[in-house]
Formats: sequence, C-alpha cells, structure tokens
Amino acid sequence: MAGSQLKRLKASLKDQGIIGPQKSKKQKRQNAQDARASNEKRIQRHEALASIREQFNPFQFKTNARGPKFEVTTNKPVSSREAMGISGRPGLTKAMGEQRRRETLLVEMQRRNKVGGLIDRRFGEDDPNMSLEDKMIERYTREQQRSHKKHSAFDLEDDELMGGLTHMGKPLFDDDDAPKFLKDDFEEDVGSGDESDGSQTERRALKRQRLEEALEAVGEQEQEDGQPERKKTKKEIYDEIIAKSKLHKELRQEAKEEDNELRAEIDEAMRDLRPLLFDRIKPSTKDDKPSLVIAGKDQAALDREYDIQVKRMAADKRAAPTDKTKTEEEQAVEEANRLKKLEEDRLKRMRGEKVSDDEQESDDEGKQGGDDDFDAMDIEDVDEFGLGQGIGGKATKYRPTATELGFDDEDDFLIDDDLVASGSELEFDSDDEGEESGEDDESGSGSEEDSDDDEFTKGLLTEAEAKEGIFRLPTNTNGSDENGVPYTFPCPQTHDEILEIFKGIDVTQLPVATQRIRALYHPKLASENKERLGNFVQALVRHVNYLGNQYQPTWAASLEGLTRHIHSLAKSFPIEVAKGYRSIIQEMEQSRPLALTVGDLLTLAGVGTTFPTSDHFHQVVTPAMIVIARYLGQKIPQNLSDYATGSFLSILALQYQQFSKRYVPEVMNFSLNILCALSPSPKAFTPNTIGFFPIHDPPAGTRLPKTLPADTPPARKLNFSDCSTTNAPSLQLKLSLLETTISLLSTASTLWSQLPSFTETFSPAPPLLHSLPKSLSPSIQSLNQHLTRLLQISKLARRPLELHHHRPLAIRTYVPKFEDSFDPNKHYDPDRERAEMAKLKAEHKRERKGALRELRKDNAFMARENLRVKKEKDAAYEKKYKRLVAEIQGTEGQAANAYEREKAARRKKR
Amino acid sequence: MQSTTKESFSASAGKRKRQEIGDKSKKRRKSGGDEGSDLKTQLKQFEAEIFESRKHYNKIAALLELAQKNNEDNSTAIAASETLCRVFVRLLAMGNLVKRREASEKDGIVTEWLRERLADFREVLLRMFDNEKLALPALLLAMSLLKVEAQHLDDRDEAVFPRYFFTKIIYSVVQSPVDQLREVCAEKFIDEYDDIRFYTFEAIAEFLKDRANDLDETVRTIIFDLLLNIDQIPSSNDDLNTFYIEPPSTKKKHPLRSLSQHKKQAQDAWLALMQLGLSKDQRKKILGVMSTSIAPWFTKPELLMDFLTDCYNAGGSISLLALSGVFYLIQERNLDYPEFYTKLYSLIDADMLHSKHRSRFFRLLDTFLGSSHLPAVMVASFIKKLARLSLNAPPSAIVAIVPWFYNLFKKHPLTTFMMHRVPRTPEEKQQMEEEGVEDPFLAWERDPMETRAIESSLWEVVQLQGHWHPNVATIAKIISEQFTKQGYNIEDFLDHSYGSLFEAEMGKEVKKAPVVEFMIPKRVFTKVAEEEGREGGKDGLVVGLWDFGSA
Repeated sequence: MAGSQLKRLKASLKDQGIIGPQKSKKQKRQNAQDARASNEKRIQRHEALASIREQFNPFQFKTNARGPKFEVTTNKPVSSREAMGISGRPGLTKAMGEQRRRETLLVEMQRRNKVGGLIDRRFGEDDPNMSLEDKMIERYTREQQRSHKKHSAFDLEDDELMGGLTHMGKPLFDDDDAPKFLKDDFEEDVGSGDESDGSQTERRALKRQRLEEALEAVGEQEQEDGQPERKKTKKEIYDEIIAKSKLHKELRQEAKEEDNELRAEIDEAMRDLRPLLFDRIKPSTKDDKPSLVIAGKDQAALDREYDIQVKRMAADKRAAPTDKTKTEEEQAVEEANRLKKLEEDRLKRMRGEKVSDDEQESDDEGKQGGDDDFDAMDIEDVDEFGLGQGIGGKATKYRPTATELGFDDEDDFLIDDDLVASGSELEFDSDDEGEESGEDDESGSGSEEDSDDDEFTKGLLTEAEAKEGIFRLPTNTNGSDENGVPYTFPCPQTHDEILEIFKGIDVTQLPVATQRIRALYHPKLASENKERLGNFVQALVRHVNYLGNQYQPTWAASLEGLTRHIHSLAKSFPIEVAKGYRSIIQEMEQSRPLALTVGDLLTLAGVGTTFPTSDHFHQVVTPAMIVIARYLGQKIPQNLSDYATGSFLSILALQYQQFSKRYVPEVMNFSLNILCALSPSPKAFTPNTIGFFPIHDPPAGTRLPKTLPADTPPARKLNFSDCSTTNAPSLQLKLSLLETTISLLSTASTLWSQLPSFTETFSPAPPLLHSLPKSLSPSIQSLNQHLTRLLQISKLARRPLELHHHRPLAIRTYVPKFEDSFDPNKHYDPDRERAEMAKLKAEHKRERKGALRELRKDNAFMARENLRVKKEKDAAYEKKYKRLVAEIQGTEGQAANAYEREKAARRKKR
Repeated sequence: MQSTTKESFSASAGKRKRQEIGDKSKKRRKSGGDEGSDLKTQLKQFEAEIFESRKHYNKIAALLELAQKNNEDNSTAIAASETLCRVFVRLLAMGNLVKRREASEKDGIVTEWLRERLADFREVLLRMFDNEKLALPALLLAMSLLKVEAQHLDDRDEAVFPRYFFTKIIYSVVQSPVDQLREVCAEKFIDEYDDIRFYTFEAIAEFLKDRANDLDETVRTIIFDLLLNIDQIPSSNDDLNTFYIEPPSTKKKHPLRSLSQHKKQAQDAWLALMQLGLSKDQRKKILGVMSTSIAPWFTKPELLMDFLTDCYNAGGSISLLALSGVFYLIQERNLDYPEFYTKLYSLIDADMLHSKHRSRFFRLLDTFLGSSHLPAVMVASFIKKLARLSLNAPPSAIVAIVPWFYNLFKKHPLTTFMMHRVPRTPEEKQQMEEEGVEDPFLAWERDPMETRAIESSLWEVVQLQGHWHPNVATIAKIISEQFTKQGYNIEDFLDHSYGSLFEAEMGKEVKKAPVVEFMIPKRVFTKVAEEEGREGGKDGLVVGLWDFGSA
C-alpha cells in the first residue's frame, strides 16, 4: 500500500464504496429511496467508516518499533496481531480507563464532603417477574443465610451468595472474580461507603478496573481476530466446575432421598415381611429347647459357656509347619557357618568397621568414623577423633544378643541341672571341676568333644525338661540342701541385699545360690523378673568386686563360677551388666586410680572374659583398658606389692590384646621398669641411655642380690596375696616377679612381633637382661635368645614406609547444566529461595509501577474534571452575567427608548 | 584522702585494741582485781597531764617503760603504746618536736629530748613486731606514726617520706617470725599504696645488699614470697595515684610519680634476691611467673639473661620452664642464644612426654618450629625423636604430637619422605630383600642436623595406628591418609590426660546393648584340668602367669 496517507484513505474509502464515481441523479434518487426504506445501509456505512478511522489512526496500536523481540518459529497459528507486533491499544484502553474513572472516581468526587445517603438493599424491585411468593422465599433464604454462617470458606458446592469473610458487614473479597455481574452493587457500595472505606474501595476499584481493561482488551481483540474457538477464561472454567459439582450434589441428594423413601416403605412393610423371613428358624428353636429355659437363668449360663468355647477356639494353636529334623552334617555346616559369621563380625569390630547386620545405625557412625572422610576445609578436628566431650564417638556396634539370635536360654538347662538334680549331683563343689561337670553332663556328652562349643547354647533341646523343672520348683521343699544353701531366695536387688542374703552361705556355694536365684526368677516365670534379674546381675558384679577384696585362694573356682554366671546373664542383660561394670570402673578411676585393689583386678579380669576385648571400641572394655593403662603408666611403685599389681595388670592388658595385637606402651614401660628395679647393679641404667622410657627410682630393698643364697626358694607364680602391702619383701617374691616379667616380655614380644617398630620397642630389653646375672633364672638366657631372634627377623622384615600410594586427588569439577527447553523469558535460578524472591520483587515492582500510573492518571482525570467543572461554572456565570447585562441593557435601552419617545412626544407636544 | 585513711587506721587499731583489752579485762575481772580499769585511768591521767603542761613530759618516759614490758604484759604494752602514739601524734601536730632556730635553748633541749623519746618509741614498736600478739597493732601504730611524722616532724609545708623509719619497719617485718604480719602488711599497705610499694622495694634491695644482715634461708624465702606477692604492676604513670603519704606535688619529676623509677626499684630488689642464689623450688616458681609478673617489672629485661640461660642450661623441668623466658628475651630483646635448636632438641628426652609441663612445652615448640625457613633435616630430627619417644608415651601425649607432625609435614614437604619412600633402583630393592632395613636414625646424636632422621621412616607412628586406645589409633592414622586438610589446630589436642580420656569415655550413657563375648569360657581363674588339656583346652594367659589359688 504505497502512497501518501491521503491517497491511501481515498483508496480505502473507495474500496468500501463510500465514495465512488459521481452518481447520476437517478441513481441518487434511488439510493435515497433505499436508504429511507431501510436504515441498514447507513449503519453499514458507519461501521465501515469507523473501521477505516481506526485503521488510519496511528495511535490506535502500540507496536514494537523494532519488530518482535525474538524470532520465534512456532506451529501455532500466527494471529495478525502478533504478526504485526501489536502489543497494545492505547487509545482503546485510555478510553476505557476514562470511562471507568467516570463511573467510579467521578462519582466519588461528587460525593465528596457529603454525608448520609441511602443503601438500596431491596430485591426484586425492578424485577417484574418476581411474584409475591418468590419474594417472600427469597427474603426467608437471605435471613437464613445471614444467621447460618458455618460453612466452609472454600467449599465449592456452597452457594456463592453466602459470601466469604466480611468486614463491617461488607464482603472483603467482593466481586473480584465476577466484576461484570456485580458492577451495580459495587457502585451502590461506593455510594454508601464512608470516608475511611473510600480509599480501600478505591484501590479495589482500581485493581478491578485494570483487570477488566485487560479482560476486555483480550476479549475484544479476540473477537476482532474473528477466531471462533475462543479459549475459556479461568473464571468460566471455574464456573463450569462449580456448576458441575452442584449438579452432582443435587443428584446425590436425589438418590439419597429415593433411598430414604424406599427404606420408609420397607419399614412400613416390615410387619408383613417378618413372618416370611424368620419362618424357618423359629420352629426349630422351639423344638430344641423350651423357651422358658432360654429366657431364664440357663440362658446366661449358656452364653458364658459359648463365650468360653469361642475363646478356647481362638486360643487354640494353629497348625504350623514343623522344622525339618536336620541331619548331623547339616547341623555341623550350620554351626560352622554361624561361628564363621561371628568371627567375621568380631574382625570387623576389631577394625572398627560397621557390622553388617545393623545398617540402621550406619549413618550416625559415618560421622564418628572420622578417618575416612576428611574434608579439606573441615575444621572440627577434635570431634573427628572423639577426643573431647563427645568421646566414645565410635558408636558401638550393636550386635543382637544371644537371646535375639535365638540361642537363648542356656539358663534353662543351667537351672534344671540343679533343680531336677538330686543332692548327689550338687556335690560338685567337692570336685574341682566346679559346676562345669553338671553343665556338661546335662548338655549331652557329645558336645564335650568340641571344646570350642558354647555348651550353653546347645541346651535348647532340653528346654522342655527345663521348664518342667522350673514349674516343679515352687512345690519343692523350702529348706536348704545339705550344704546349707536354701532352695529359695528373695531376689536381691542391691548389693546390700546380696550381702544380707548371702550372709550365711559359704563363698564356695555362691554359684549354686546364684543358679537357684536365676531359676526362681527366670524371666519366663513372671514379667517383672526381667527387671529383677537385671538389678540382681548388677549387684552381683559388685559382689564379685567386694569378694575379691577379701580374696582367699580357695575361692577361685567359686568366683570363676560367679563370673561365668555374670557372663551368661550378660547375654540377656547386656546393658545392665555393662552398667554394673562401668560403675565399678568409674569408682576405680575416680577414687583409687593408682591404688587398685584385688577386687578391682578381678573385676577387670571379668570384663576381659565377658566382653570382646578385640573390638576397636567397646563401652566397657575401653574404659577398663584406660584404667589399666593409667595404673601402669602413672604408678610409681612404692613397694613390691605395687610391682605385683602392675604385673597382673600387664598380663591382663596382654590378655585383652591377645586377638587384636594392639600395642600397649604402658606395659612395655612397666615391665622394663621392673627389670631396672630388680637389677642388682643400681647404676647400670640412667634415663636416656638404653631407651626412651622413663625410669623410676625403685624403693629401697627392691634390688636382687648379685648371687642368690643357696637356700633361696625357687620362683613361683605370683598370686593375689603378693598384691597386699603388708608382706615383707622376700627374695622369693622378687624372683617370682622377675620370672613373671620375663615370661610377660616373652609373651609380649611374640604377640607384637609383627609390629613395624618392633625393633625400637624391644631393643632396650636385651641390655637390661644382660645386666641381670644369669644365675638368677634360666629363663633370662632363653628370653634373650628369643628376643635376639625376633629382632633379627624384624630387621629383615622391615621396609621403608610407603604410606601414600593414594590415587591422586582429582580437581573438583562441575558439570555444566543444560536446559532442554530453554526459554529466555523464564528465570532458571537453581537457588529456589532466591528465585522466589526475585519473582516477588518483580511482581512488587510491576504492581508499584501500575499503581503509580493509575494514581497519576487518576490525578490527571481529577484535574481535568475539576477544570471542566470550573469551566462549566464559569461558562454558566458568564452566560448569566451576559444575560443580566443584556437584560439590563435591554431595560436601559427600553428606558432610553421610552425617554426618547417621551422626549420626542413632548417635543411633539410642544 | 589523708585524713580519712588516718581515721580509718586509728579506728581499726582502736577496735583491735579495745577488743583485746576487753578480753584481758574480762579475764582480770574474773581473777578479782580491776587492774584493767586502773591502768586505763592511769594512762588517761598520764595523757591528760602531758597535754596539760610540759612539766609532765617525764610521764612519757614512764609510758615508754610500760610499753617496753611487752614480754610480760601484752595488754599494758599495747595500751601504753597506743597512748604514747596518741601523745606523739598530738605533740607532732602541735609542732613541739620541730626544731626552730628562734626557739630558746631550753626549748631546744626539750625538743631534743622529745625527739629522742620518739626514737625510743619507734624502737619499742619495732621490737613488738617479733611478738605474735603485739605485731599487728604495733604495725598499725607504726604506720600511723609514720604518716604523722612525714607531715610534722620537720617544719615544712610538704610531707617528707620518713625513709629511715620505713626502712626499719620493713627490716623488722622481714625478720619477724609472724607470718600474719607480712600478710597484713602486704595486703593493707604494699598492694594498696604506690609509694609504700616503691619504698618497700628500695628497703628490700638495701636489706639484701647489706652484708651485715643475716640472710639465711628462711629470710630469703620470706623475701621471695613477699616479692612474689607484689604482682600488681602499674602500666603507666597515670596509674600511680594512690599514695599513703602524698609526695610533693610541686615537683613534677618526683621519682614516686615515675613508672620507670618504680620499675627500677623492683628490678633492683629482684636482682639483689637472685644474686643471692635460689633454691630449685624457688627457681621453678620464679620461672613459672617470669613472663607474667617478674619480667614486666624489669626496665632492662636483659639483666635476666644470665639467670634464664643458667636455668635453661640446668636441664630437666627447669629447662622446660626457662624456655618461655628465654624465648621472651630472644623475641623482645634480640638475645642471641647460640645453638638454640640444639639445646631445644636436647630437651626432648625420655621424661618429656610424661612431664606435666608437656603442653606448655609443646606450645613453645610449635612456635619455635613454626617457621617454614628451618632446614628440613632439623625438622625431621624433631619429628623422628618425638616419634621414637611416643613408643613409650601416654596416649594423651601421642594425641598431641601426631597432629603436630601433620602440620610439620604440610609445612616442610621434604620431610614427607619419612612417610613415603620408594626404593628407586633394583639393586636397592635387592639389598633390602636380602638384608632388611636398619633405621638410619641416630637416636643419641645431640645435634639435630646430624641425626639422619630424614633418611628414616616413621615406623613408630604406624605402630601407634594399632594403639590400644581407639581414638589414639584413629589419630595416628591421619598420617597414612591423604593430606587434604590444611592443618590441625594443635591447641585442641594439647590438654588431655588419662583422666580426661576416661571422662570422655564414661560421659555417655550405655544405651545400646554392648556386645558380649559369645563364647563363655570354661576356665576363667582356674587351671585347665588334665583331661580337658588332653582334649585341647589351654590355659589363658592370665591363668598361665598368675596363681589364683585352687579349691
């Protein structure tokens, strides 16, 4: 369409047939007649003109000056508007805004500074279709609705007339969703609103206004584009949904009503139906029993009997598949597998790894493991190693107790051993095998062959017998057996109670008594027994410590029995036993860390057998080991008994590390110190000449003589009486100490022969041994040879360290993230919070700009309106003024005329 | 200010006296006589008469007589000396003891006589310091007399500190057998007043330098404790504002107002004491507080150099303690200590890791070896020596040194060969296979540059990875892990002990069931019976080496 604006206008006018070649008179007349006949043509002409006018108004469309921002290829049909890059119709929106303001703002302006008014709350006033009855119904429903407000605000099926939240009787969220329908109401509202409401309503009005503008703009544009399949607006969709759900509700109600009616019908017909229904039953009951009996007392008895029967049936055992009896080979394989698994678990715990069957605890362990996940920037050194307050960090590997594994109740047969047994079998105190014999007999002689087997776990077969034994117990005599051990005991809960109860019993009989208590209070007998036994075993742990402090050599078997009882109870009460031991260990550490008693030594030995000492970390073993190490490391021996105690602890420490072969520096220090102290030549060693262990000056009279007197008794094993300070330092004791230390060093060197620093650890020993006269003990020579050999081997086996064959650490990389359907208009912020924030900010900015614009427009409108009003006023005044002037002039003129006339008349007269 | 302190002293002195007299009088009353009241009235009468006229001045001599009876009758002595004090205070205030040129000869004689009596009275008071019961009131009286003398003994406008008297007081205090006296003196006067402290230092220095005095061990200990207790060091001239006797304000440069003069006095006193020689415990004590409360007194800390180097060379724990002082001098005063690192290296001996000053030493060691400019050979020596010691160390020490090793490895990458050394030539490998490896480290070498530690490997730390304490083992493992961490904060690892490790273990309640040894052993304390032994049963280690006795 080339050419100037004017040419184009002409062309389009011509196209529409508004202008054309000049018509003849005839044509004109005809046209005029047609037009007069129907107005249609004229209207057509108008429309055409309007469209042309629109087309030629350069301000009609807002277009992007540089065309569309992005070249977009799409399969959607391209509307002409999009093609032209029209992004708005400023003229139209302006007109609409003007219109809206005239309807709202103007009204408000006019109402300004005016008080009072009327709110029209009538209904049906303008509706001639409403009959009187309808109006009454309507009024009734409205009243009901006003009084009944307990509906859900979000119920779709609710009538929307009920409205939502209100403020001062006016709905808060009024008519946002339905502006068109409630426009009139709104105007009424504005009319009636007082000043304070004004601003609020105004804001709402503006928002609505914008919304409507947008809606209308969209609607009109779409109509213009002439696309028939108009997309439904959200509002329409919701309307449809609501309508549908209402329909469904109604249908449901109808169905319900129908059901009700039917039910009522059947109810009424029940009388007739009854005989049909119960026809057959009635006669039969009548036959079986006389109705009198049923109605009377027997009825109750019958019911009860019935109930009992039902319960019994419910309690009946259901048939269950029995376990196949396994062949001996199968049993052996199973047993082997079980042992293998246990050993694997032990090794894992020794390495400080997680045991496989407790994944649920693995996550918090990962943190404590510490050594495997160093982060370069991790600062929390201390927590990593669990040194600080949070120590004990290496979470204990929970292993299911024997009970849970199903090996439970070695107790049972332990018990029945005694209970079923006659007195003759209880004489085991006389034979030095202790209770062992009884147990072994009981568990079947076959199992004895395998000495590694846990005899307790094999007793499952005899469980039934055991139970019988248990049940027989209460009927048993209440007296005591021939050893003076009563058959029944109260269950002691504290150590004091134990002292009270065991007062009359010889210590050697205590295992029997313990066995009986365990039988009497077996957890299967009563629910509270579990707790009782738990307390009992704690007290028992303490009692062993107590007995140990008054140790007699004859008590060994008995204390062993008690320790084994504690061990066996520990399988069912691991926490209680652990608490018992830990409390004693705590006492040792706090009150006598460097003066341990015989009882403490026995307790520590008990810990060593009851708990797996090879574990990397163990709640009981680790503290016990600290106590041992502290004594060995910090005690400066004052007399030979201290050396003896230290020797025992050294042996115990080695025993603890038998499997795991962990290194205990304190044992080395202590043992080498004993050698130094016993050495006849006092000045042989000063610190820092033979090794790097601190040498303590020995108390006087510790050293051995260079040559032994002829009548010296030979060395013996140390015992607990050597640990008491009252003993005089005898030569025999010194020799025994030497002998023990030498065997200890020999054991230690064998145990630690594989350690990487074996040479440095044991190299101080040979010179020390050399300084001892060979005549003192033959074992000196043998140990010396042993050590020399081991040192040689260790030297040969030693290689430079190659600790860091690690895979080189990769530099951290980040894979770039690609978006499959990238849209430049969208924001891809991976930080969700930030993205939301940005969204909110953008919205806020938009709203703010919109509000500002609206306010500005409002202002302009108001100014314009005021100007218009003023102009009108001025014009009216001017008009009035002119009228008055004219009037006066007229009058004046008249008067002048009259005067002139009068004058002329007078002159004429004259 | 002056008047209030004076009041308070006289008040407190009076209170004490009243109490004491009250006690005595009660006793007297019991025994029947009312001597107490007699004495009081007599003393009052004396006092009144003395003030009445000069004629009665001879009563002063009588009072002195009474006051001298301190051995027999404490209360009389106190009452008399109190009266005397009051008398002299008043006479001094009236100016009766001031020599005036214009005064007549007779007056001059009287004044002279009075002055002599005042000197006598001082003597009496000082002698009282030796008496357990009289010492405290005597001190208070002496101090109040000191104050009045300062103001009124000479006819001057401004007070002059009576040094002659105060020096004597300090001498007596030091020599007195009463411990309480010194406590009170230090607490109420020396710590309280800057000038008293100043003159105390002066007096002590004089006392120590005076060969005539008998300076036996007890006196030295007393002086040592006294000096050690003076630990409130003023930081600037402005802090010097509490004076017992106000120094002349006209002269700005009065030594009492100058901090350096104060410091000089203190330094003199300390040096005088140190020159006399100290016992081992005293040395330890001094070294312990050296950097906090002694060195700041010194205007020339270099003077401490000899003392410190002597201590440092002494060996043992004294060396450890002296280390911080020497470091202070090196750092602040540019002390050139020859072969400092050799000396430091020699401090690392068998007892070091067991010493209670371990953490203190490690903090310093961390500082000394903190420089990255040190030769790697030397750093390696330190590492290797400590590693060797750790084989016999308590867990708390191992816990401290291993992270420190880590930091050193990070700082001196050359030393990492101690952890990772791959044999390079096949011949080398061959030799290793045949002969094994000898540790090239020379443990007894004194010079850290010559130990060949850098050619060695840290087998010791690898052995500690199998330490019995789980946490120690875990820490020891850090040297075989990848060195991804920047470094460890040594401070976190320093202060541990068996006790704290134990507390950490016991701090947690047992919630999860602990693992129980699955197999119940047949023998715990008893020997395996013969028939069982044949079947393969074996004695445990404990039973094998220990006799539990038998049934």
